[in-house]
Amino acid sequence: MEKEQYQQLEQNVTPKPPYLKNVAKAFFVGGFICAIGQAVSLFYMIFFNFTEATAGNPTVATMVFFAMILTGLGLYKRIGQFAGAGSAVPVTGFGNAVISAAIEHRSEGVVLGVGGNLFKLAGSVVLFGVVSAFFVALIKYILVTIGVVSW
Amino acid sequence: MRLLGITLPLLAVLMLLNGCAEKEKFIVYGSPQNEGEVEALIKEEDFVDRTTVIQYDDSMLVAVQIKPWDKWKKAKLEKKLQKKFDKKYPNKDVFVSADYKIFYEANKIKKDQIEDNKLSDKITELIKLAKEET
Repeated sequence: MEKEQYQQLEQNVTPKPPYLKNVAKAFFVGGFICAIGQAVSLFYMIFFNFTEATAGNPTVATMVFFAMILTGLGLYKRIGQFAGAGSAVPVTGFGNAVISAAIEHRSEGVVLGVGGNLFKLAGSVVLFGVVSAFFVALIKYILVTIGVVSW
Repeated sequence: MRLLGITLPLLAVLMLLNGCAEKEKFIVYGSPQNEGEVEALIKEEDFVDRTTVIQYDDSMLVAVQIKPWDKWKKAKLEKKLQKKFDKKYPNKDVFVSADYKIFYEANKIKKDQIEDNKLSDKITELIKLAKEET
């Protein structure tokens, strides 16, 4: 069998992924997670002294905590299977990446196993987040200094 | 996952129905009575959805909620309103906030009917909270 023939055959056999259905699932589950996040944020505003500007930090921490519990119970991977990017893009996906790596390497010990592999998946998120934030801030600082935009 | 399929549409419907409840758009609470004037000032701006004004003596706290699509420019609109009020009441200490927390607390002051002697402290407390950044 020639290489092209094989590729032809493969393309005929591979089922077509239901893109539209996947997008809809991701949209609604991601939106649902964000609605929970909004509820947590409102909770912090109503019962504690947080404003809209300051409620972000505890909200993120709480959402990661929820993701941690769901990952530990093995429920988050089911949500991930169903919703795909809808569960990976919100901050809960970041929490899931951290915790699942920790659980996976638990047998190798606390320091070298959990400690060394905790940010194996999520490390790139932290790195690129910090670096891109630095460059965006730098660009904005330059623009403000020139006088194009204001803070 | 089937459970999720039932809960999601139900939740969406509940949220939609909740939005239909009619709420008072403009509230003033406190000693100097200049409601009409302030209301006219706010009504000029069509990006404001709901307003609660708390005033005591020379201090005035204007808590506004901005309409959903205009929320992208929240900081700018807040500044615009602040300037407008500063111009209108140059000898008054006006503070404008578009933050939900400040709006919620202002409504709570009105609901609890907090007395005049405590009102001043409450206003300074809320202004301090609104300026907090961390």
